[in-house]
Amino acid sequence: MNADLMSTIENIQHQTSSNAILDIMYSAIGGYGFERFIISGLPDPGMDVRPFVLLSGWDEEWYRRYTTRGYVHLDPVARHCFSTTLPFDWSDAPYDKENDSPARRVMEEARDFGMDEGFCVPVHMEGGMQGVVSLVGKTDHLDEKGRLELHMLALYAHGRLRYLNGPTGRPAVRRGITPREAEILKWAATGKTAAEIADITGLTPRTINQHCENAQRRMGTNNRLHTVVEAIRHKLITL
Amino acid sequence: MPLRGWGFGGRSMKLHIVRNPADRQSNDLLEQHFRLRHRVFVEMEGWEALRRPDGRDVDAFDNDDATHLLITDTDGTVVGGSRITPLDRPNLLQTVFSGLVQGELPDHPSLGADWTRFYVHPDRREGRRRAPESAALFCAVMEYALHRGWTFITFVSSVYMIEHGTAVGWRITPLGDPVKSEGKPTIAAWIEVSESALANVRRATGITRPLMPIQALRSHVHEDRIFST
Repeated sequence: MNADLMSTIENIQHQTSSNAILDIMYSAIGGYGFERFIISGLPDPGMDVRPFVLLSGWDEEWYRRYTTRGYVHLDPVARHCFSTTLPFDWSDAPYDKENDSPARRVMEEARDFGMDEGFCVPVHMEGGMQGVVSLVGKTDHLDEKGRLELHMLALYAHGRLRYLNGPTGRPAVRRGITPREAEILKWAATGKTAAEIADITGLTPRTINQHCENAQRRMGTNNRLHTVVEAIRHKLITL
Repeated sequence: MPLRGWGFGGRSMKLHIVRNPADRQSNDLLEQHFRLRHRVFVEMEGWEALRRPDGRDVDAFDNDDATHLLITDTDGTVVGGSRITPLDRPNLLQTVFSGLVQGELPDHPSLGADWTRFYVHPDRREGRRRAPESAALFCAVMEYALHRGWTFITFVSSVYMIEHGTAVGWRITPLGDPVKSEGKPTIAAWIEVSESALANVRRATGITRPLMPIQALRSHVHEDRIFST
């Protein structure tokens, strides 16, 4: 096997953080002409994909749009992963171009973000769970050997990330929240404003807001309401 | 939900290590095993070369040197199995699959074994969790390999085995390039056998207690018959 791929594979298996694998992936897929990628589990219909994302190398704005609008459930590429075990080009993912306008919209918006073409590796896990490693970039230059190499690379990355994310099989919220953040979010959950929470806790409103933003950033949520809901869902706070 | 211990879902599974058996129970288990193998590999996977009129998948490597790791359910039904054959005797890897091997084995052949015919009972395909039978087989093979003093295990499989194995914290190194075999990408590779590999797979699967029957653990000599409990 080509020496570069062998050493990349070895390297991946030594890593203990997702960030390290991010760098390895960017470098490795670059050699095949790909720039961006995502590695994720695929959730049941209606579920938020974010807890399933193992590693995102996507443009941040696209990531935010894709995840907040639930595009994973409309995306023909994601859908096709459930139908095949073999890697495929995005252009091979079937959808009704006439009548499936949500699917068409996802593909068109992806194109707006410079994501015209790509290569997708479905990952079937034991127990029926489904995952994906999707690379953004042109595919017509890829030969059979290149495709097999990318397949291997994808499986090593997905497997190592799955291992690093722990035995529950679903990634835990990246890091918990501090006790102070929990206290503030609990008050926010009862409808208190920042000014009111400041009175209760003796902190300034500015500090209250800062704590909320910190929790929001760490949890990957979009606004205070979302932060509170996710904190409850993950049992980081109880009311 | 993580798989916790043996009794998940109200079932408890048991490991049997069967090699050259003389007793009735082991032979019964082996019969179930050979018939399940035929159903999985011939009927479902389509490996026609293995088809036999008696409906049992038995080949030249199911000899006195082969060890069968079988998982049974509480009622004694085989729910999963695999086979281990030594690498310092004729084996699948170096005969039938030699075309997939371009690299060197990591150690002397007597220090490794070939892991083949891995399957879970077709009617046991669980839902959204690591299939418990699959998890048990992974823990069993690593525990057994350590017990036998091996340093590596080889396999030839769908490339997906790479993902399953790395996901439980195993170090897996390809022995050659992946090749499309009947449309399916296939690879030969070896798995490092070590205490940490065993600890990792136990942690990943939640099967934290040893699986090997006590009698097997007390066996001193490899050539002894290893009976199931």
